[in-house]
Amino acid sequence: MGSVIGWYLQRITGAALLLLLVAHFWVEHFLTAELRRGEITYEAILSRISNPLWQGIDIAFLLVALYHGLNGLRNILLDYSRIGAGAARFITGGLIVIGLVWAWWGIDAFRNL
Amino acid sequence: MNVYTGKLAQILQRITGVLLLIYLLLHVHTIRELREGPAAFNAALATFRNPFFKLLEIALLGTVILHALNGVRITLIDLGIGHTRHVKLFWYGAVGFGLLLFLAGAIPMFLQGVLKV
Amino acid sequence: MAAIEENQYRVRVARSASSGIATEFAVVLEERMTVLDALFSIQRNQDASLSFRCACRVGMCGTCAVNINGVPRLACRTRVKTLGTQVVSVQPLPNLPVIKDLVVSLEPFFAQWKKIKPALRPKDPASKELVRVPHDSNYARNSAGKRDCITCGACYGACGVKESSEEYLGPAAINRAYLRLLDPRDSAMKERWQALNEERGGIWRCHTQMNCTSVCPKGITLTDTITRLKRAALSPGQFENR
Repeated sequence: MGSVIGWYLQRITGAALLLLLVAHFWVEHFLTAELRRGEITYEAILSRISNPLWQGIDIAFLLVALYHGLNGLRNILLDYSRIGAGAARFITGGLIVIGLVWAWWGIDAFRNL
Repeated sequence: MNVYTGKLAQILQRITGVLLLIYLLLHVHTIRELREGPAAFNAALATFRNPFFKLLEIALLGTVILHALNGVRITLIDLGIGHTRHVKLFWYGAVGFGLLLFLAGAIPMFLQGVLKV
Repeated sequence: MAAIEENQYRVRVARSASSGIATEFAVVLEERMTVLDALFSIQRNQDASLSFRCACRVGMCGTCAVNINGVPRLACRTRVKTLGTQVVSVQPLPNLPVIKDLVVSLEPFFAQWKKIKPALRPKDPASKELVRVPHDSNYARNSAGKRDCITCGACYGACGVKESSEEYLGPAAINRAYLRLLDPRDSAMKERWQALNEERGGIWRCHTQMNCTSVCPKGITLTDTITRLKRAALSPGQFENR
């Protein structure tokens, strides 16, 4: 059953990332006049990112991207190596750990802004 | 258009995917600079106004477009759509249409960011 | 009678004696001649030691599958003129052990084939009644275009995953498993799903390259079979009620 869910999730997260990316790009580069002029500054970003709603969306974006990317990496690694079930579990476990650390690293960016 | 287009598409999908993971690493690293205050963050952004980084940004645009459009193509195939036209779907749909989107973004980015027009 | 157009071709055939390096033969072929005709011409007139397989010569048996200009095809169904080049490169099917020249062993192919239990396992072997499977039944409609596999091995040779994975079932075996799963007379669903769902060798190793679909001489949309199974994997019980 595990393989099925992973297969579906990779496609669902991919589609979600497409939408999130377009939205993210629009918000970061076209939402306000100054952004459209290319004036991306600390003040411009902070005014928006202090709002917990935006923080939540950005964190969700990060988590979806991490799942999609690291799951993709897992597929690559398990494909191109002649490995047994044990090594496969080790790689999967390692990627989960990397994902958790990376997620914390990103969420921590918003702490004490 | 070769019968082995699908194999090329898979290799490109994997390469662009890994490149995007690396980009994500750099992006999160930069966003963390917000905590260091306006001086540090704005200094980090100033580095990215450098023409070299602007070229990298243009490369990033191409990478994202290719990965996304090919991903859409794969998802269509997984849903049972486009099996008899998958080669054309790649070259016209992903690469061709992608090239148009890429140029729409890359040309202004190049003119403003690199040539400072 | 109108003159039959003849053309000179350079046919490069991989030879075991030179460890796979090709020997080039100059062959004159009539307009409608196939790669198989070229191989026969070489064997009869130039080099009797050339080894290749064929049987029916009309695209029905699947015996003559070889790599022609880099693509797995049936030699008997490939008219040389349609290749659009004077130089024809013929090599054995990839991903399979070479016995001699263009002859490969299909042992690995059929080992995977057997993994999915290719034979029908009737629900009631002792039954004397005929099972009617109408042309508009689910079985007939879902298996349309997928029943023509001649086990030529072209898909197996073309598959990018088979290049590096010994365990992967390969498109032909998966397609046969699908047909059996659809068959209302069959009873071995569990064993087949086990093989199809297997982590290292099952359907999940397919990465939708679609080389198989591109090369199948019978036009079977093999990737479509595999993606149907992937979608069906959420509810494998659906094959119980057919």
